[in-house]
Amino acid sequence: MILVAAAQAVRRDIGLWEWLFDAGTWTGRNGILATAGDTVRLCAAVIATSALIAVPLGAFLAHIRRGELAATWVVNVGRAIPTFALAGLLVPISLRWGYGFEPWPVFVALTLLSVPPIFLTTFTAVSQVDPVVVDAARGMGLEDRRVLLRVELALALSVILTGVRVAAVQAVATEPIRAFLGGGGLGGYLRDGLGQNNDTLVLGGAILVAALAALTGAAFGVFERVIVPKGVRRLRRAGDRGSSHNGEDHERASVQVSEAADPVGSLQLADGGLR
Amino acid sequence: MILAQATNPIIRWEYLRDEWDKVRTALIQHIELTLLAVALGLVVASVLAAIALRYRWTANPITTFTAFVYTIPSVALFGLLVPYTGVSRTTAVIPLVGYTLLILVTSILTGFRSVPPAVRDAAEGMGLSPARRVFTVELPLAVPYIITGIRVATVTTVGLVTVAAIVGEGGLGRLILDGLRRTFWTPMTVGASLSIILALVLDLSLWGLGRALTPWTRRGGPQRAATR
Amino acid sequence: MAACSLLTAACGSSDKKADTGGSTTATTVAGPGIKIRGQDFSESATIAQVYGQYLKAKGYTVDILTPAGFRDEAIAALKSGAVNLIVDYIGGDATALAPDTKVTAEPDQVLGVIKPAFAAIGATVLEYSEATDGDAFVVRGDSPAAKISDVKNLDTVLGASPQCETRPQCYIGFTDPAVYGITFKEYKKIDFGPQLGEALSAKEVDAVVWNTTAPQIKEKGFKVLEDDKRLFPAQNVAPIVSTSVNTAYGSKLAADLDALSNAITTDDLVAWNVETDVKFRESDAVATEWLKKKGLD
Repeated sequence: MILVAAAQAVRRDIGLWEWLFDAGTWTGRNGILATAGDTVRLCAAVIATSALIAVPLGAFLAHIRRGELAATWVVNVGRAIPTFALAGLLVPISLRWGYGFEPWPVFVALTLLSVPPIFLTTFTAVSQVDPVVVDAARGMGLEDRRVLLRVELALALSVILTGVRVAAVQAVATEPIRAFLGGGGLGGYLRDGLGQNNDTLVLGGAILVAALAALTGAAFGVFERVIVPKGVRRLRRAGDRGSSHNGEDHERASVQVSEAADPVGSLQLADGGLR
Repeated sequence: MILAQATNPIIRWEYLRDEWDKVRTALIQHIELTLLAVALGLVVASVLAAIALRYRWTANPITTFTAFVYTIPSVALFGLLVPYTGVSRTTAVIPLVGYTLLILVTSILTGFRSVPPAVRDAAEGMGLSPARRVFTVELPLAVPYIITGIRVATVTTVGLVTVAAIVGEGGLGRLILDGLRRTFWTPMTVGASLSIILALVLDLSLWGLGRALTPWTRRGGPQRAATR
Repeated sequence: MAACSLLTAACGSSDKKADTGGSTTATTVAGPGIKIRGQDFSESATIAQVYGQYLKAKGYTVDILTPAGFRDEAIAALKSGAVNLIVDYIGGDATALAPDTKVTAEPDQVLGVIKPAFAAIGATVLEYSEATDGDAFVVRGDSPAAKISDVKNLDTVLGASPQCETRPQCYIGFTDPAVYGITFKEYKKIDFGPQLGEALSAKEVDAVVWNTTAPQIKEKGFKVLEDDKRLFPAQNVAPIVSTSVNTAYGSKLAADLDALSNAITTDDLVAWNVETDVKFRESDAVATEWLKKKGLD
């Protein structure tokens, strides 16, 4: 965060609306747009990396029908790791090795946080694929590896994207810890507001983070709608409602497991046509 | 004059022996806060879910509201409350309860919505009053979903309680914060490890409770592992 | 070396046991219970333990609360009655309670500013100690600067807490052309004390605003620059007690506290910080040991 010459700190008594509607707050080197961009860049890198780790891992384990137990426990442990503590632990190491305050400590902590939901939904999605379809594909003469790539992943794509969406929203909402560990990003407003006892900054910062998280969720929602063919989406909804071959218990477990990863999304699925 | 720095390994075992009281107090406080927040959250979520189920149009706003609360950074919520409720347990509990709502409300809603209409009709046909129908027929069927929600909420809360350390009521988070302030690995390691272990233990216990409460889901051989 | 530290640990724990034995002696001083709470950093926690254990040994009923929050929370707690005794730094209190009044490096002048401010919220400031924990403008040992004014000509990245940004006697004073008029290349906001030292060593920043009793300054061979324009206020340690509690004890409580304040020196503060932040011992053990050494337990 660069401050030029005698740039003013935000006044303590400024009102929230006044601050939000002042053009100076948004533009400039440490304006909201620039800092939000900073946040988005880090989160994008985190999600890309997590997906690169989690998707192949989840798909492979589901394909060889192993690791269902591991799947739920990975998610649990992932959720239980205190992200801030982990990042804080890594900061002195990063400094001593000459990598500075950012981006590595927070990047590592956020990636670890994002892998479980993506892993879980990938695993669930791939293992939920109708075996009949897989058999049919095998019958057509496709080799095993190509079966995996073509049939399973295509069908599972929409579910995996749900996991990525959840991970992305979570990453954006957790990224503010970066500012408390010597870094930049939207968390800076929170950090300054809390330190300087400026409620406007705290409120404003919180609203900005929540808004960006909501925006991220919405963006992924639109993306899902665009790239997943309507037929596949319908198929997935029917599958979740119990027309899969794997039996009621398995279906309920899968629903439970995907709900664990994405409560809101699952609710939408469960509603079926209600919304 | 360069002072020799005491060894600062990942974990100094003497710390556990010497500061056991501090660690134990932190652990107990952590458990208390977690259970309190989830219990209160369950109460509030039940009310919200009941409203959403009874008045269909409220479901969307309620879910959106709880989702919004969930995305507010915890540090902000704690920080905003301090001027009003001081550095106290209340300041810690209010946001913690707020963060459980999304998960608990959606799982209660999903649970009740999963009851097959045929079952509901049959219960009505048998002449059961709405109250009895809800509690003796629908609720047991919804339990697996609700338990899943409680498990997720509990594990999430364990993690969030560590953040509450900044308002003095963080249980194991106090150890982590202490370590951060002095760049002293041991309390950080102890605090972080114990909070992970605590989360897993609580999750396992709730899973066991879930299985005990819903014996009918245990039937079926190879699917047993799948019914978690 | 290892045997020594083992011995200290053993002595430490047996001292603790003796302490619990000793403090079950009946409280001999009648009056309202003392509730003291330090702020959320080691030095304040140790100071609270020192004052708290000292009063306990003198027979008062004392509750040493878990350290939490910072100055604003401490003052609010004093006001609300959640605590009735805090020990703070007079310059910092002036900045918090009377931000528009200019305070100097003269402790009596600062006292004159904060006494009425605290009286207005029902608290009495007692005698200040000679021990101070002031602001320090710290650079690496190899820096060409000797006083803060020298920094003007160097390209400097500043590392400081977010609080510094809005303080006239911190960032505002550094950048004010009427005072130091420094233009910093960048201002990195860093929250945790030891991280300031790490960042300085790692050349992430070129100067930090630290406190004079930080043990890492000497340890890492850093340099404290002279405050030639006398920007920083006096920061003596002083106990502040709720007025009603103070009067309930007549003059006894004030006298006891003054005696302790007079016994603490700046070197003691540094020594305590070495124990907690370099040797990683706990505040309560450090306090017990010091009181015993001084014969005040």
